[in-house]
Amino acid sequence: MAKSSPVAVDSDSELDYEGAGSGKQHSLFERLYTGTGGFEIVGKRKVYYGIAAVLIAIAALSMGLKGFTLGIDFAGGSRIQLPAAADVTTSKVDDVYRSVIGHDPVTTQKVGSGSSATIQLRSDTLTNEQADKLQNALFDAFHPKDASGQPNRNAISVAEISETWGGQVTHKALLALVVFVVLTMIYIAIRFERDMSIAAIGSLFFNLIVTAGIYSLVGFEVTPAAVIGLLTILGYVLYDNVVVFDKVEENTRGVLHLTKHTYAEKANLAANQTLMRSINTTVIGILPIIGMLVIAVWLLGVGTLKDLALVQLVGMIVGGYSSIFFAVPILVSIKETWGPVAEHTKRVLNRRQGGAKARVGAAAAERAGAAGRGGEVVANGAARPSSRGQNTGAPRPGARPSGKRQQRRH
Amino acid sequence: MPPSQGTAHPLRLLGVYAALVALMFGLIFFTGDKAHTPKLGIDLQGGTRVTLTARTPDGAKPSQDSLKKAQEIIEKRVNGLGVAGSEVVIEGDNLVITVPGADGAQAKSLATTAKMYVRPVLSQQAAVKGGQPPAAQPTAPPATPPTESVAPTTAPEPTSEAPAPQNRVFPAQAPTTPSPTPTPAPAPGGLTPQQQTQQEIAAAKALRQSADPTVQAQAMASLDCSKPDPLQGNDDPALPLVSCSTDGNFVYLLDKSALDGQEIKDATSAYDQQRGWVVNVEFKSGGSDTWGKLTTQYQGKQLAFVLDSKVVSAPQVNQGGQYGGNTQISGSFNAKTAKELANTLKYGSLPLSFSTSEAETVSATLGLSSLHAGLIAGAIGLVAVLLYCLLYYRMLGFLAGFSLLAAGVAVYALIVLLGRWIGFTLDLAGIAGLIIGIGMTADSFVVFFERIKDQMREGRSFRSAVPRGWQRAQRTNLSGKTVSLIASAVLYLLAAGQVKGFAFTLGLTTVLDVIVLYLVTAPLMMLVSRSPFWAKPSVNGLGAIAELAQERKAAAGVLVKEA
Repeated sequence: MAKSSPVAVDSDSELDYEGAGSGKQHSLFERLYTGTGGFEIVGKRKVYYGIAAVLIAIAALSMGLKGFTLGIDFAGGSRIQLPAAADVTTSKVDDVYRSVIGHDPVTTQKVGSGSSATIQLRSDTLTNEQADKLQNALFDAFHPKDASGQPNRNAISVAEISETWGGQVTHKALLALVVFVVLTMIYIAIRFERDMSIAAIGSLFFNLIVTAGIYSLVGFEVTPAAVIGLLTILGYVLYDNVVVFDKVEENTRGVLHLTKHTYAEKANLAANQTLMRSINTTVIGILPIIGMLVIAVWLLGVGTLKDLALVQLVGMIVGGYSSIFFAVPILVSIKETWGPVAEHTKRVLNRRQGGAKARVGAAAAERAGAAGRGGEVVANGAARPSSRGQNTGAPRPGARPSGKRQQRRH
Repeated sequence: MPPSQGTAHPLRLLGVYAALVALMFGLIFFTGDKAHTPKLGIDLQGGTRVTLTARTPDGAKPSQDSLKKAQEIIEKRVNGLGVAGSEVVIEGDNLVITVPGADGAQAKSLATTAKMYVRPVLSQQAAVKGGQPPAAQPTAPPATPPTESVAPTTAPEPTSEAPAPQNRVFPAQAPTTPSPTPTPAPAPGGLTPQQQTQQEIAAAKALRQSADPTVQAQAMASLDCSKPDPLQGNDDPALPLVSCSTDGNFVYLLDKSALDGQEIKDATSAYDQQRGWVVNVEFKSGGSDTWGKLTTQYQGKQLAFVLDSKVVSAPQVNQGGQYGGNTQISGSFNAKTAKELANTLKYGSLPLSFSTSEAETVSATLGLSSLHAGLIAGAIGLVAVLLYCLLYYRMLGFLAGFSLLAAGVAVYALIVLLGRWIGFTLDLAGIAGLIIGIGMTADSFVVFFERIKDQMREGRSFRSAVPRGWQRAQRTNLSGKTVSLIASAVLYLLAAGQVKGFAFTLGLTTVLDVIVLYLVTAPLMMLVSRSPFWAKPSVNGLGAIAELAQERKAAAGVLVKEA
């Protein structure tokens, strides 16, 4: 039966990871790079569930006890920004504000740097007239210059935000979340399978909770931009999951027809093979975002750019982790709980036990079919076609379904 | 299925892409206004953006018809500002007004004018200042009794300034009774903003639109004019109303509406030697009839112009039987307030009442800083990704970089064109979307590359691994990009606010990414795979994989021999 050429080492024999034949040791990076890390991800999934549970618990606790730091869009109010020239200080701005409005602003801070630096003043909602007066007073006091270097009243930016605005945005974001989850569940269920769809959604919520938890814990300000940014992360996380699941699907195709490997082992292999891609994707994804965050914080200090960048940065890192260390284990757990995979895993493990007792052929006592197949597969490693669909254990001559074989090769 | 070598020659695919890009730039430079810069949002060029949220009494969604009508009316008002490039667009249930440039700040008050009714005044009293610090109303003019009067323009009346009837209905009611209902209870969590608004409106209605004299009296005593009015344009014209004057100094008890603001044809402000600033009002034919009857009925009494549930002006009727269709409102106006009232009356009632959710005036200075920050961030992101690709993929990183640039050129052209065709404006959030798109675009290459590695691990040469890897990478990529596209589309359609621009550019880069992958990245890889130069491990960095495959082969050979 050793007629299959040794060159055609196909994916079935890849489970041997490292060391199954070669004695040469590879460095961690090499193993990562070549996708032959042989990291036990699915096998040690209890550990990863533990980590996930701890993360979720911390996130939930923080959200419950500490809550979120809500931005101006949720509290409502006015925001006035003027260029921070040399003679403009926060205390002087405070003085002007007090003399016009009669009480202190909520906060006054200097943000950004260089020519982009501004003084940002946050206050309760001002009426149009109040804002107008304040703008005039600030102009009289500091004569801020516009882009062309001329003193201009309009160099002062004024924003008024109602307290319902943030809620409105969040409400819509939640609606978008529900629609998005439903649509992607359907898509993944059609494109892949139902179990993957469930696992992907599970990992999606893991992401949501952990990212929100980090926001709560660190006290990053929650703005509508951050809420929407969170949603786009979910798109990104699912994209990541889809890439990993695609590999899982490819690797596990036909695994049930053999008793050489369990579904879990094949999925683990897929996780290993996509590990480097996930790391690369995450790095490549966050490089521009880090750039954006640094520039946004450094030059502008505050605003949409910073909010979007921060939430994406946190979310992408969590997402990269979860697609490998959360989604794949969950998928395997679901698969092994019910359905044909659960059955198959038992069979494989049984056979292995049998194989340990008597290496060749002797396992026939256990189960005719399985044993027969077992001996054969152990014997020829790569050649597997005859071992499929022979429940009776009696090979039918010439009954090799070439169609299926083709399918399995791709 | 044998791996195909691609359906078309790589060079032809590259040519198609080049032609597409050339076409887009041709369209930019030779059609339309030939502007080659994207349309920038007001947060990048400076200007004013006002987001108005429609408020309906029952919290229901406003009808598209009424939104469109409101949009038309507000558009007229915005155009009245005379700033080129102003826009009013409907976004979900919101109207978004954008006025570029420095002169747009007035846009903030454009939609505070909503529903107008003329209601007879039943009673009037000075407003109770409800424990607010005086600072809350620093701009309130001195509290003098109103001196408005209504007269036909044709016959200027001698000023018969009869003192306003004070508290005619319930003079003795002192604000001693603690009112249980004036402040709607703070909405418990879990209520949507709509539900909250709905509750507030209902509570305010119950108190202030009652026909019961006792409740009316209580409402007058307890109404705090320094607080925002929850009714704001949602009062029922068929019921009496207790309301404040716009300056917050008087509380009025008003009868049900006698005339709708839609009956007003035109209104202008003018300066009158005797009375100062006045507003001349011209009624439509139906309105002038009603007005004539009203003036007869209420001669010597007050009629209130109620706008957004607030009394703008409550002039005394000096002459009855004003059937001419013209009248003049005089009072303590200045040039600005007279013009405002005239505009309000002229442009008619909005079919909906709006509250300002967000109003932002961005100075050109700040806009410029933001634009610079965005562009610098984008450049840094691009360079960082290129460097990483070169580091990790060696020379193949150039292919990734080239694909990125190819995508970037197309994105730029598309944004310019879409700005022209559908008015797409690039804002700061949009730039963020583009920057994040850099990573997503580069990822197509990562997936492809990893698939090539898979194939080489199985023992194939670089040359044969590329087409096979491409076969698999396609599927992965399309599945992944579909998810991204769903995310962007859902966000774009459902999300509110400026983050729409973010979803748009993210979706745009996703689509372009797929096109670039098929027309640029893949053909380039195919070409490269045939060249001996690129097959060198030192060039493509795939040496470790080839080595591993060798070991594998050896190991497999051993296994088979053992068997």
